[in-house]
Amino acid sequence: MTVLLDVQEISKSFKLKGYWYHKRTFTALSPLSFTIEANKTLAIVGETGSGKSTLAKILVGAETPTQGEIYLHGQLLQKKRFKQRCQHVRMIFQDSGTTLNPSLTIQELLDEPLILNTDLDEKERQQLIHKTLQKVGLLGEHMNFYPHMFSGGQKQRISLARAIILEPQVIILDEALAALDPSLRSQMINLLLDLQQQMGLAYILISHNLGIVRHFSDDIMVMSHGKVVESGKTLEIMRKPKHKVTQRLIMSQNFKLK
Amino acid sequence: MNLLDIRNLSIELDTPSGRVLAVDKVSLSIKEGEFRGLVGESGSGKSLLAQAIIGVLEDKWHVNADRFHWRGIDLLRLTLAERRDLLCRDIAMIFQEPMSCLDPTTLIGEQLSEAIDDSQFTGYFWQRKKQRKEAVIKLLHKVGIKKHSQCLTSYPHQLTEAICQRVMIAIALARQPILLIADEPTATMENTNQGQIFRLLANLNQLKNMSILLISHDLENLTHWTSTITVMYSGQFVEAGTTEQIFNKPMHPYTRALVDSSTKANLQIPAKSRLITLPGSIPILKHLPIGCRLGPRCPRAQKTCVVAPKVTSFHGHKVSCHFPLFRETRRKYMQKQQVVKGTE
Repeated sequence: MTVLLDVQEISKSFKLKGYWYHKRTFTALSPLSFTIEANKTLAIVGETGSGKSTLAKILVGAETPTQGEIYLHGQLLQKKRFKQRCQHVRMIFQDSGTTLNPSLTIQELLDEPLILNTDLDEKERQQLIHKTLQKVGLLGEHMNFYPHMFSGGQKQRISLARAIILEPQVIILDEALAALDPSLRSQMINLLLDLQQQMGLAYILISHNLGIVRHFSDDIMVMSHGKVVESGKTLEIMRKPKHKVTQRLIMSQNFKLK
Repeated sequence: MNLLDIRNLSIELDTPSGRVLAVDKVSLSIKEGEFRGLVGESGSGKSLLAQAIIGVLEDKWHVNADRFHWRGIDLLRLTLAERRDLLCRDIAMIFQEPMSCLDPTTLIGEQLSEAIDDSQFTGYFWQRKKQRKEAVIKLLHKVGIKKHSQCLTSYPHQLTEAICQRVMIAIALARQPILLIADEPTATMENTNQGQIFRLLANLNQLKNMSILLISHDLENLTHWTSTITVMYSGQFVEAGTTEQIFNKPMHPYTRALVDSSTKANLQIPAKSRLITLPGSIPILKHLPIGCRLGPRCPRAQKTCVVAPKVTSFHGHKVSCHFPLFRETRRKYMQKQQVVKGTE
């Protein structure tokens, strides 16, 4: 398998208030590296404040890393070139209700990334939107609806449609499944797995729920205070957690894997 | 004896296009010292039910019930004031998002001492202040906060969410309630804190013999803590029984789907395989299906399902379905077949 995304020695620190000679910094991420292959899912677990979301933001380009480089297919992703990055790395957020602009129809919402990133004309764009909506299990007619006309699960599908419309290679799911009801959540998991098979996507799943992590991911990375404390194959780590943080996480969810 | 005994409780909502039945004939009973879970997806009316129990619904909601008893007293016959007196002594409720429930401009200590009433104290009035402070500290110890002096002199925003929820529980415990209703107490928390809160509730239940009604949307988180579970769907009663009955032998197709869709219950299925789920989503209040509201999504639905099913009980395992998931006795099956034929 070829390596899709190669992250090398990424770190992030924030400047805090301080005096001139006492410049203080807060290290959100200590240098870390990992790779992802196509068709695979990497799960990132950890407590709040462990730097998971910072890592996600850096990967998608919303934050610039203090150090380190990200390579996609061996090609360096440059810091300010969003056009290149948005086509390949997309993100879905936790609360789909607030991430969709309520004053735009679904068509306008999905049109935006296409206008900004592609040279398709209006008719082609419309066809693509139609096709993408069907791919995520909605109808083409839903194009003219507004976000408030959809239920929570459907809104999450629209966010997914917005993520896959540019045919990316990596999708980051930042707690994207946490706010959904159980039956909708498993519908969504099925859909995500189907899309992974069809389009060869790589997912980076940030989640608290170890059950989902177990079911969904191939590799796992446990983070604590900005450092990676344990990483490897999901099943092996869940069977034999070595680090204290991992053990505590598994304990706290009464999670037993035979 | 049953603490709370509710039979066929209906809650209706006045809308411009007539009344809508939001909660349709739900039964719920809580025994003394019971830890009951109330499970349902969002929009299934579980919070509404809890609010109806403590009587804080607005005027536009109308509550009717065949029986609505609290320790043998019929609540529907009491006036509002009498009912409030009774319930605020015996029942306490905690809500989700503790940060937004506490007053942000008042110290935790003041908020706590506000909740303690004078009838708990004895002695002269000049001793009250000291007693009150002692009672507050005792309450904080009860919910597992050891650094009481630091906690008392801080504002809600200075504390973490789990500590805030503990303070909320302490306020709820101030009047020594018999029943504690917890409406998704851990909705916005992470897992380690979630465990702490659940453990605290379980401790209160076992040590103080307090009954707890725990409301949640996630079946798999509850099963470790509760002894009995009631499941609701779209305002209708689905299934009730002990946790083992519900989780290991669900009889209703909806509960079955909930258990199947839980990733924790299905550790034996291979990773990345498809999970079994029901198609579609929960219906909105304006377009409720007639009869059994699961009907359009149910894999076992048949013609009879347009009539709402009656609740049947099998050894304390109550289920509301025409075609529950188990082998019926031959005679009953034949009767049902005849009913099906009769409608055709």
